[in-house]
Amino acid sequence: MYRLALNMLFGDRAKLAMLLCGLAFSALLMAQQTSVFFGIMSWTYTPVYNIRAPIWVSDPMVEQANDAKPMRDTDLYRVRSVDGVAWAAPLHTSFLQARMQDGNFKLITMVGIDADTFAGAPAVLSQGLIEDLRLPNTVIVDEWGAQLMGRVTKGPDGKDVVIPLKVGDTFEVNDLEARIVGICKVRRAFTGGPFVYTTYDRTKLYTLGARRTLSFMLVEPQAGVDPDKLCARIEADTGLKAWTSDTVIWTWSDRSLARNTFWWFWKNTGIPFSFGTAVALGLFVGIAVSGQTFYSFVLENLKYFAAIKAMGAGMGVIARMLLIQALTAGLLGFGLGVGMAQAIGRAMIEKGMPPFIMFPQIFWATLALVLGISLVSAIIGIIKVSRVDAATVFRG
Amino acid sequence: MSTHAAQPVAVRTHGVDMFFGDGETKVTALKQADFEANRGELIMLVGPSGCGKTTLLSVIAGTLTPQTGTVEVFGQRLDGLSQEELTTFRRKHLGFVFQSFNLIPTLSVLENVMVPLLIQGASHDVAVTKARAMLEKVGLKGREYGQPNALSGGQQQRVAIARALVHEPSLLICDEPTSALDKDTGAQIMQMVRDLSRSPERCVVVVTHDHRIFRFADRIAEMEDGRIRRVVEDASLLDTNQL
Repeated sequence: MYRLALNMLFGDRAKLAMLLCGLAFSALLMAQQTSVFFGIMSWTYTPVYNIRAPIWVSDPMVEQANDAKPMRDTDLYRVRSVDGVAWAAPLHTSFLQARMQDGNFKLITMVGIDADTFAGAPAVLSQGLIEDLRLPNTVIVDEWGAQLMGRVTKGPDGKDVVIPLKVGDTFEVNDLEARIVGICKVRRAFTGGPFVYTTYDRTKLYTLGARRTLSFMLVEPQAGVDPDKLCARIEADTGLKAWTSDTVIWTWSDRSLARNTFWWFWKNTGIPFSFGTAVALGLFVGIAVSGQTFYSFVLENLKYFAAIKAMGAGMGVIARMLLIQALTAGLLGFGLGVGMAQAIGRAMIEKGMPPFIMFPQIFWATLALVLGISLVSAIIGIIKVSRVDAATVFRG
Repeated sequence: MSTHAAQPVAVRTHGVDMFFGDGETKVTALKQADFEANRGELIMLVGPSGCGKTTLLSVIAGTLTPQTGTVEVFGQRLDGLSQEELTTFRRKHLGFVFQSFNLIPTLSVLENVMVPLLIQGASHDVAVTKARAMLEKVGLKGREYGQPNALSGGQQQRVAIARALVHEPSLLICDEPTSALDKDTGAQIMQMVRDLSRSPERCVVVVTHDHRIFRFADRIAEMEDGRIRRVVEDASLLDTNQL
């Protein structure tokens, strides 16, 4: 009977197309919006992602990775003296204005790294050498920043063309020259501004002699020392806050800087609400369109289900037929919707924005929700058919 | 006709009352309806609209349970059976031919005929084999994979008959089987039903308004106001203007 149930479903192509459209649109909205949401939210903990170190140490009042509360340089020595620390390096982050050659200003994120160890340096350079940062007034700019800070000129067709910054180009930060010696590949920041890397000591010049420039400390535990336990020891010995650099946000660990950053943005911005609204809309549209279409499919077939009942099919068989029909439509709709979401996501990634991260959890949650929609539709149909009296088949 | 009357009883209702609603909206459909049909017999239920034909047919088919009275089909008492037991009984022993065919338009002709076998739990291959053989019997060989809507009314009713008989039921219930057919096609269909039902282990009950097919009946039970008024063997005894 179940094969016939599927043939009944596939035989009515107009209804099936309508049903699949509703389910696919719903799956697309839910998967695409959630993936873009998590993509954007992943930018919030970009510093932790880009600057890989097992442990980050910050001022105790810091709540997330973009919230730097400068510490004294002497705090670095206190951390280095904690038992179990292999090494600790300073890290500076701040938002500064850069003046371009054409007189324009751009907001940049300046990152100062330890010149001796280069701890915190970008992992991949597409141009230049990291060691050149030891030369006077030098910086490394990320690829996105090089594009953003590039010179705009007119192309042969009269349209604006951006000529990205390259090694050898210069700009100014607080009237001090910054000469580019490298272009790096890093993940973009939530603020959208370019990353400009230089040495920690030079940031004191670029920040016009700020009294405190130590935003974070990057710490490596000695071999065999558990990072979590070392964090606790650093906090106990120094009164500072120590974080792990785990970028998995689905963790219960309160020590993950990435997780705390993610949830800080979740609680303190309207982003989850706006995306949540779109996801809820997808769910609502899915239930409304699919439920209505499946219900009308059941209504159109009601006399046939009544005939099948009269012929001796129990409600169990009919319920399973309806479930198979609804869940099959659900699976197809899910495949179409998530496939479209992936295609759109890939196109977005190629264009560079907005970010798109489809976690396995999103995939499975969308599947569960779409099948849930199908299940609701099937249950509505089953209730309708169960109320049909088999005797109605004799009423013309 | 006396030969049919001599056969053992296939269907018997006794003292059946059936009403719908209550209070001021109460409608009595059957009043002490006593009815008998014998094995190997084709019996027709006739009467004016609203006389209770369809209700009695539903009671016999086990799709309605009467408030009072007894219903016996091929030795099995239906009154007192649970809905589940009635469903099982219909699955095993009953075949249906409906007024509007009720063929599922999104299934092929063959698949429509397979339905009762699949409900009974037959394997797909067995159902295909039996359904094909039945379609050949009703003269529809070569039309197995067409859609029902592509067939003429007569052909669709043949498919319905094949579906009703494919699982070899004891009791064939036909509800206005010729109402959607022209005279000649209706006669062909009734001849087919009559031929296919000629077995001592089978009985056919036909509800109809169509006096053109009365001649195919072994007996005709005339209903009036929820009761069997009389049973005749000769259709000419009926006043067809009243039916």
